[in-house]
Amino acid sequence: MSLWRLEWLRLRRTWRGVGLLAVFVFFGLLGPLTARYIQEIIERFGGTEGVQVTFPPPVPADGMIQYLSNAQQIGLLAVIGVAAGALSFDATADIAIFLRTRVSSTARLVLTRTAVYAAAAVVAFVAGAAVAWYETWALIGLVPADRFLFGTLFGALYYVFVVAMVALAAGLVRGSLGTMVLAFAFVVVPQVTVGLVSAAKPWLPGHLSSALAPLSQGTAEAGDFVRSTVLTLVVIALALVAAIRLLDRREV
Amino acid sequence: MTTEGGRALLAETHGLTKSYGGHAALDAVDLRVAEGSVYGLVGPNGSGKTTLLSILAGLRRPTSGTMRLGVARGAMALLPDTPEFEPWLTAFEVVDLARALVNPSIPRERVTDVLVEAGLRDAIDRRAGGFSRGMLQRLGVASTLVGDPALMLMDEPCSALDPMGRREVLDLVASQRGRRTVIFSSHILSDVQEVCDTVGILQRGAMRFQGPLQDLLTGNRTPGVLVRVRDDAEGVARSLATEPWVTSAAAIAAGEVRVGVRSTDEAERELPGALARAGARLVSVRPEEASLEQVFLEMTR
Repeated sequence: MSLWRLEWLRLRRTWRGVGLLAVFVFFGLLGPLTARYIQEIIERFGGTEGVQVTFPPPVPADGMIQYLSNAQQIGLLAVIGVAAGALSFDATADIAIFLRTRVSSTARLVLTRTAVYAAAAVVAFVAGAAVAWYETWALIGLVPADRFLFGTLFGALYYVFVVAMVALAAGLVRGSLGTMVLAFAFVVVPQVTVGLVSAAKPWLPGHLSSALAPLSQGTAEAGDFVRSTVLTLVVIALALVAAIRLLDRREV
Repeated sequence: MTTEGGRALLAETHGLTKSYGGHAALDAVDLRVAEGSVYGLVGPNGSGKTTLLSILAGLRRPTSGTMRLGVARGAMALLPDTPEFEPWLTAFEVVDLARALVNPSIPRERVTDVLVEAGLRDAIDRRAGGFSRGMLQRLGVASTLVGDPALMLMDEPCSALDPMGRREVLDLVASQRGRRTVIFSSHILSDVQEVCDTVGILQRGAMRFQGPLQDLLTGNRTPGVLVRVRDDAEGVARSLATEPWVTSAAAIAAGEVRVGVRSTDEAERELPGALARAGARLVSVRPEEASLEQVFLEMTR
């Protein structure tokens, strides 16, 4: 059994993989439905007696925007939680001893797990986006395929960045909960601080998370995300190098 | 390569020290483990046994001192005292993972062989999450043996086992002598006495004794004689205690007196007369066989 199979079994037998996929697919189904029937939903359940709320007719981009707004919150937490459970491998000392005394290098352990959980997050995000795209086409109209593909690609890269942040956090703290909290801070804090500066925003990894929305709307082009793509790739590489060094130096 | 008693040293440390804050968990330890030996590392809780094994296994770094291992890291395996595994893996998968990580060229058939050897024949396809502590310990032994390590570090391997499991592990450890080198830490001294040929005694992080078990038993204990009398062991003990060559005399059981002496020679010459003067109705006299436990208690008291 290889480390790859170990992680595949972890995803399968602990239901983490299915759970992650279910979260994104659920929001992929829910997003276009909400966008298409928001008027009816408000009228039936909104409780706005005497008040007439009128929404503009939905456009295809609304289906993708609804999907993203959910995926960026619950989906992000799900990715961090699942990745932290695997990447904080020193949380249980005796399990850590089993692996650390047998693998040839810590890098092998970190990179395998990061790759598997990044892949799981990407698959879940892309599956949810694909469901949202198809349902948007069926209910509202077509988002151009090239714009959908670029937006999904940028969004997928963002989730790779999120998993790399989890790996970095696991290098700094041992426990799964601490890893989750720290990784969440690494992901969110730059967005709510540096991201407030309009000149800096196009550089941040967080810019990629919502790329699907402006690309669907036609208010941005793929080239607008090159800067954040480059910076995100650099940050991912640095985070992984730092995580490997930190985990290599840690005593168990 | 350094040798000791004609055998090459497989693990050797010089002045190995490990400090946590101001506390020295290990204090200038010079360890010498000969190839093919079963080395018993004994000491009270907190004496530094686990720290020393962790440093040898590369899991912790020494604060100072040097260490030399005669094997590559991959040829060494550590069995912790409470091994744990992913609960959703079967016993076969755990050992197979250990095999693949240590040396993928080892045939998979060996996984089943070592699981059977460790007494887990009926649990091969069961998930580790449902295992008792004893079964986890056996699984740890199997995942250690599967890589065929040249150096096995076993930290209290019998601590969670029932008497039958303990017997099996001790037999297994004893059978490794000459085939591979084993460092076996334990505070169950009778276990160490039974399976180890070399002993190191750690106390408060310092090595108090290191050498062949026989040297320890014969050279570091006050000589003693066990005297059995028909009646009044207390009175005989009081009488013997007045003899100048007797260091201690005490009734240790009904009709039994332990007599500590300055030397065995003196005891052999003087004891018959002293017993006659005490009016003892003698049943038997025999030299006291030292046990590791007695020596250990005397050294660490």
